[in-house]
Amino acid sequence: MSVGSLENWIEQLKKCKPLLEEEIKQLCSMAVEILVKDKVVQKVSAPVTICGDIHGQFHDLTELFNVGGQLPDTNYVFMGDYVDRGYYSVETVSLIIALKVRFPKRIAILRGNHETRQISQVYGFYDECLRKYGSANVWKYFTDVFDCLPLTALVENEIICMHGGLSPSLDTLDHIRSLDRFQELPGEGPMADLCWSDPDERYGWGISPRGAGYTFGEDISEAFLQNNGLSLIARAHQLVMDGYYWQHSGRVVTIFSAPNYCYRCGNQAAIMQVDEHRKRKLVQFDAAPRTEPQVSRRTPDYFL
Amino acid sequence: MISSSDNSHSRDAHTHNSDSCCSSTPRIPKREILTKSDLERFQTSETYEKYMGFITKLNEAVVDKPLDYSADKSDNITFLMELLDKLKAWVDEIPPADVGLSRFGNPSFRKWHDKLSEKHLELLTIVPEDYKTEVGTYLLASFGDYKRIDYGTGHEASFMCFLLCLQHLGLIKEEDYPALVLSVFWQYIMVMRKLTHAYWLEPAGSHGVWGLDDYHFLPFLFGSGQLSTHKYLRPKSIHDPEILEEFGEKYMYLSSIKHINSIKSATLRWHSPMLDDISGVKKWEKVNSGMFKMYKAEVLNKLPIMQHFLFGSIIQFKGSADGTEVEMEHVHAFGQEHPLCCSIRIPSSIAAVQGELRKPIPFD
Ligand SMILES: [Mn+2]
Repeated sequence: MSVGSLENWIEQLKKCKPLLEEEIKQLCSMAVEILVKDKVVQKVSAPVTICGDIHGQFHDLTELFNVGGQLPDTNYVFMGDYVDRGYYSVETVSLIIALKVRFPKRIAILRGNHETRQISQVYGFYDECLRKYGSANVWKYFTDVFDCLPLTALVENEIICMHGGLSPSLDTLDHIRSLDRFQELPGEGPMADLCWSDPDERYGWGISPRGAGYTFGEDISEAFLQNNGLSLIARAHQLVMDGYYWQHSGRVVTIFSAPNYCYRCGNQAAIMQVDEHRKRKLVQFDAAPRTEPQVSRRTPDYFL
Repeated sequence: MISSSDNSHSRDAHTHNSDSCCSSTPRIPKREILTKSDLERFQTSETYEKYMGFITKLNEAVVDKPLDYSADKSDNITFLMELLDKLKAWVDEIPPADVGLSRFGNPSFRKWHDKLSEKHLELLTIVPEDYKTEVGTYLLASFGDYKRIDYGTGHEASFMCFLLCLQHLGLIKEEDYPALVLSVFWQYIMVMRKLTHAYWLEPAGSHGVWGLDDYHFLPFLFGSGQLSTHKYLRPKSIHDPEILEEFGEKYMYLSSIKHINSIKSATLRWHSPMLDDISGVKKWEKVNSGMFKMYKAEVLNKLPIMQHFLFGSIIQFKGSADGTEVEMEHVHAFGQEHPLCCSIRIPSSIAAVQGELRKPIPFD
């Protein structure tokens, strides 16, 4: 596979035109080769822009790149949840994976709780793959890639990024590094916690109302940051109306990058830019204007 | 008709005279489908046939009948309408709590639900005393989840089970079926709209844009049944605002589309591609038969939904668990799908429409 045709794919995807099944297969196998080299705690240097959930909102991802800058001029950390719920999960995750393959050192793509077979089968991505390709093959290729996504990113030894949050079984970065991540996300345990947990106003560990992961209080965040010499936990996973939300006395920030989530929640989106002096800036953006979806109508099998 | 192999708990085996079909004594319905293999067995059970048979008969009963079709209402139909009216009126008596800018489920829903728990048995005056708890349990499970403040097709199915129980007890006859759907079921949907509006019930287990609807399924099934022989309305008519305006009050399907349009931004193509796709089908008849297939696959064959389905002496099924406990912990159906509770919380779209307030925050 030449850089040239990879460039062509990226150009095509940027126009929100999906690749062919065979091309997805190739892209995914290239992605696996590259992603296995990433670490569970993927090191990232500033300047870098940190982004939260996208959930198949392709046009808003385009807007995100317009606001934040294009690759490879801007470096990115995406904190997972590329698929499910939105209209263009296929195009969105294809583009993000293609960018990773093209610029492996410039972009880190973490795993979210939706980058799993169990969840994406239920919340839309599977249905979408079936609808756009007529079979579940591309869903299988993508979910194989998901098994290789790193779980956290470490920006300049200061900011730890993950999709959900902390885990009672992971006190140190070395604990995280010791995880064997190459598998379907388990329903419980440290890997699941990183992708499922939420910060909470209550102290200590709490039972998550989501049924997976935990809630963790300010004391937990403080101890984790202190033990590891860090200053901030950046995470995604929760819809926040302003696109970002500070908690735990500035120790935890939630970043959500899908504006007007599900075309109806009315929320703004945000990204966090960390400049070369490690100064942090949160930038908000609104839903991109949309034209009618390009996909032509396709009668669901039930109605044939 | 239904075997009584599972009534080992019943000490005295005298059968109830108003219920010749069911040999076991009334009991509090409980969950039985806990594993994938339970669900597989359920698919081939007599109860499954009975439930789908009931839905099929109801569907047949409303073909070619608009919502304002003046069906004769029996006393029990009138009773059910008044019951639902009361539940609706309670919403006005229990205003939503002020929760600031939160768009998630409103905790006042629990007060409404508490009232239902407290009153439902005494309200069910038409039901024989010994069946009140069994039948009432289905009614109680029809309006959403108390803890999660959410609502979905599982709750909708519980309401159908409630009606099925009434039918089994001889309280509803086949000649009541048109009114049962066009009046009672539709009034139930109106109660749900009122509840979702007032308390912002969250959609349980949302597929996002890829689902049929955030909350309901059966209005689309019965609704396409109503239209299946219509002379000029076509599935693509859902895109015509004038038709929606003119016929929105007459047909469940069109009323539902109108309702969705009123709470979501952008067009149907964006927020409901499934309904948009279905609008490409030529005939309502085909839509109707597709709805049956889809209901069986997407509702009755989904563990996250069916693990909450309740079984008693009328609607019978025996799962693999020994069934000693009544209140079971949530089953995590790993290997197939996650339970509803594992998803990210989605605020209801109604909340998004009503909660316009958002102040701009300075960048930092
Ligand atoms: Mn998430």
